[in-house]
Amino acid sequence: MYDKKLIKIGRISMGLAIIANFLPAVYVGMRYGEMPGLSTILQIWGLVAATYGISWIIQPIAYYPTLGAPGSYIGWLAGSVGDIRMPAASMAQKMAGTEEGTHAHEVVGTIGTCCSVFVSASMITLFTIIGSQVIPLLPPFVTSSFSYILPALFGAIYVDIARKDLRTGICTIIGALVILKGGGMLGIPGGVLTLGVVLAGILITRGFFVADKNKKAA
Amino acid sequence: MNFQAIINSPGIWIVSAFLVIISVSQAVVFMRAALKEATECGINKEKKAAAIRSACITAIGPSLSPVITLLSLVAVVGAPTTWMRLCDVGAARTELGVISLTSGMLGVEAGTEAFGMQAWTYGLWGMALNNFGWLFVVFILGHRMSGVVEKMNSKYDPAWIKKLMAGATVGLFAYLLGNQIQSLATPKLMPAAIAAVVMIVLGTALKKYQRLQELSLGIAMLVGMFVTQAVLGA
Repeated sequence: MYDKKLIKIGRISMGLAIIANFLPAVYVGMRYGEMPGLSTILQIWGLVAATYGISWIIQPIAYYPTLGAPGSYIGWLAGSVGDIRMPAASMAQKMAGTEEGTHAHEVVGTIGTCCSVFVSASMITLFTIIGSQVIPLLPPFVTSSFSYILPALFGAIYVDIARKDLRTGICTIIGALVILKGGGMLGIPGGVLTLGVVLAGILITRGFFVADKNKKAA
Repeated sequence: MNFQAIINSPGIWIVSAFLVIISVSQAVVFMRAALKEATECGINKEKKAAAIRSACITAIGPSLSPVITLLSLVAVVGAPTTWMRLCDVGAARTELGVISLTSGMLGVEAGTEAFGMQAWTYGLWGMALNNFGWLFVVFILGHRMSGVVEKMNSKYDPAWIKKLMAGATVGLFAYLLGNQIQSLATPKLMPAAIAAVVMIVLGTALKKYQRLQELSLGIAMLVGMFVTQAVLGA
């Protein structure tokens, strides 16, 4: 019931969002007569598809097992899925003490994802309006430390998740670095590498799972 | 009307607001449904409150990370467009990337005098078409993929499916961390390593203090950032 209801709402809001997404471009065309021709629009589409097209398809799939259906609708509409939604969902799940793979876990993840939307939307609104006045007032020590936010965030959250199963955690981050380095050298698109690392995480988990089972059986 | 006045006009604010409103309203509806469902799953009030607090606190830090890019985006495409595009899919650097791609079509550089109405319109279309990719894929796939887990649970060993989901999450966060530190450069490794150590220490030291644990990710992140800045800065 719960899933069905949310999926229905999610699909409706996704459909509306697709329309709203084009509103500014269409409005500017109607109000100011500034509108690229159809062939130019197709060219622009080709350009962004060539650059980001693989991510459009692969990212939602790679994040799906972690986000679930409701989380995917909120997450991909609000964006910043890896940076903001997932850390928030994962902390919410940790504090509620739910177990991976259960329905309760997914529900709490959705609560966390929603909270993160409220917080990030308010902060972006605030900074868009007053940012140009406030940011220059911050000490340079603080503003230059902003460039360390993401590595620090992911370093902290990764150990928090990996310590539940240390062997898997260590092997997966090593695997991730090898895949990212090697893939980068071979020129494999970033989107494919994302999926590759997620699959590596699953395979490494599987490896230890089977090994443990055999040990128990022996 | 000059270019700067147009890109910051009330009309643009209004047409940019729809997507933000849809996104936040959807979150409100999902939040209410999920809170109700959580009660039915046997999650008590204290745990729900703890989950909400920790998610909100955790979201503050990473929401700050695009702030510097946000300011440069405001200068290039105007406040309403920046606001809309940072509240929807596509990170700040992605939006900037799209704008420089589409301006490149016109032989114009973003942020210069030459970036006018036409380049801005190209940018609007570029960002809309790029975001459409994600929205459309989720619109098409979202409902088809639900139920996959139940099907797998009935087909395979549920203990393994649980592990599989955990493995996918570890893999995803390994990707996110790996993507940051893959250059193995000190300015990336150092904040990650310091924050990781602080996180472990806090997790162990605060085991008994549930309330403080909610802050642990935020604290670990701040320590990682500031210590790195103090050591490498200036």
